[in-house]
Amino acid sequence: MNDFSQIPPVYAGIFTADKPPSLIGGQCTSCGAHHFPKPDICPDCLSEVRGADFGQSATIYSVTTVRTRAPLGLPSPYSVALVDLEDVPCRIFALMDPEQAGSFSIGQRVSLHVAPIGVNNEQKACLRPYFSADK
Amino acid sequence: MVSIIGTGIIPFGRHLERSIVSMAIEATRRALDDAAITRDQIGACYFANALGSSLFGDTTLGQNLTSAMGMVDLPVVNVENACTSGSTAFYLARNAILAGECDIALVVGSEKMCVPDFGLINSGATELDTLLGMVTPAGFALRAKRHMHEFGTTPEQLAAVTVKSRQHASLNPIAQFTKPETTESVLASPMIVDPFTRPQCCPIADGAAALILAGDRVAAQMDRAIAIRSAVLTSGRYENPADLTRWHTDYASVALAYEKAGTTPEDVDIVECHDAFSIAEILHYEALGLCERGEGGRFVERGDASLGGKVPVNVSGGLLSRGHPISATGVAQIVELVTQLRQEAGDRQVEDCNLGVAHCMGGDKKGDTKSCTVAVLSR
Repeated sequence: MNDFSQIPPVYAGIFTADKPPSLIGGQCTSCGAHHFPKPDICPDCLSEVRGADFGQSATIYSVTTVRTRAPLGLPSPYSVALVDLEDVPCRIFALMDPEQAGSFSIGQRVSLHVAPIGVNNEQKACLRPYFSADK
Repeated sequence: MVSIIGTGIIPFGRHLERSIVSMAIEATRRALDDAAITRDQIGACYFANALGSSLFGDTTLGQNLTSAMGMVDLPVVNVENACTSGSTAFYLARNAILAGECDIALVVGSEKMCVPDFGLINSGATELDTLLGMVTPAGFALRAKRHMHEFGTTPEQLAAVTVKSRQHASLNPIAQFTKPETTESVLASPMIVDPFTRPQCCPIADGAAALILAGDRVAAQMDRAIAIRSAVLTSGRYENPADLTRWHTDYASVALAYEKAGTTPEDVDIVECHDAFSIAEILHYEALGLCERGEGGRFVERGDASLGGKVPVNVSGGLLSRGHPISATGVAQIVELVTQLRQEAGDRQVEDCNLGVAHCMGGDKKGDTKSCTVAVLSR
């Protein structure tokens, strides 16, 4: 496996460096609601939110492929989706595996990966979480 | 009651030599002329511009407009609210008159977008979704794909929105794209974001539009005044999981606007709605109650949204054909409705046009919209 430890994440605190990686979201310590990314406080009840493992498995709710000029150094074309996470009741926006762009369909099961893809707002290489079709 | 007593608009398109303020001046002069009032009668100015600060480093441009027009000692409010910037300025101006703060208010939306490397708009550069590749067309495309999956909406029905838009635009002297399209030509165009080909995405544009609003005392003396029956502005609820086949905020705003106006979808004669992409207009037919949920594709395919149809939608050509200079759009929609309700729309006049709805939506957040405005206008 490659060592990505020197490359910054596109957004702090949303995935683990484990193999396989997990998504990190937030769970309210009072009402138990799940939020992604982890908010400062729970928007439902304004209580404290703690970091929580949101797992790595999901099902595609809707998916599309962007075929015009890609922002942020992303490959072109690239696919994005809304996916339903398996471990927690959360539907989130996700980047999809660039090597599988255009091949995804609604209802398909996908898993989380992390790799250097594109750049951040400072034009520096960064790690992005993405979902790949299960083999 | 507050009424619209004057409108002004300049053709949308590429105005490379014009500044945001110069376009605003022209639209404002036209509105003053149309209302037949003088600049001294304006009691407040609500100025909308969304992109001036990020594209040009320009801020508080409203005072540059009033200063350039010799309008002095006024409350001037600068408004940024994504694609609803202009309609939010309208909402605020109406509230100021309702509150008795002034008798006459000026609303202006002016935007300059035709610059090199404009790219695609997003909903905030540091938001996680943006950083993961969310661009505005993709947000709408995810809705289209889900609507097709759940309700059987077809590519041909999506294309029908553009075909209708161009038919309408051909009758509007200030529309940007007036060349006819067919279902085949729309579907054969380059794919931008699945399932949208280029003509299904609204073009950027430079442009400005202005309105003069007045309270009853002034409006009673104007025989071309159009009444604002209601005007609402709402943010979303952002519940998880989001349902991409409907914006919660779309339905909530429309219901509130109808309730406040004491009206129902059956009373609506004309709609200007936020057709940023083909699917958006289809979803808005459903939210506006023009057809049942899931039936929007069939509604447009049957011609129900066309001039001469059940409820003509975006007779101006809408965002898809007129172009979408962000903060001018919400004002331009109301300019079109006022023109129609005054029965002054010429070749594109809707028959028996007594009640119109202006609908605008801006920004994307957690599968809903950041902002939605709905206004009900009548003769």
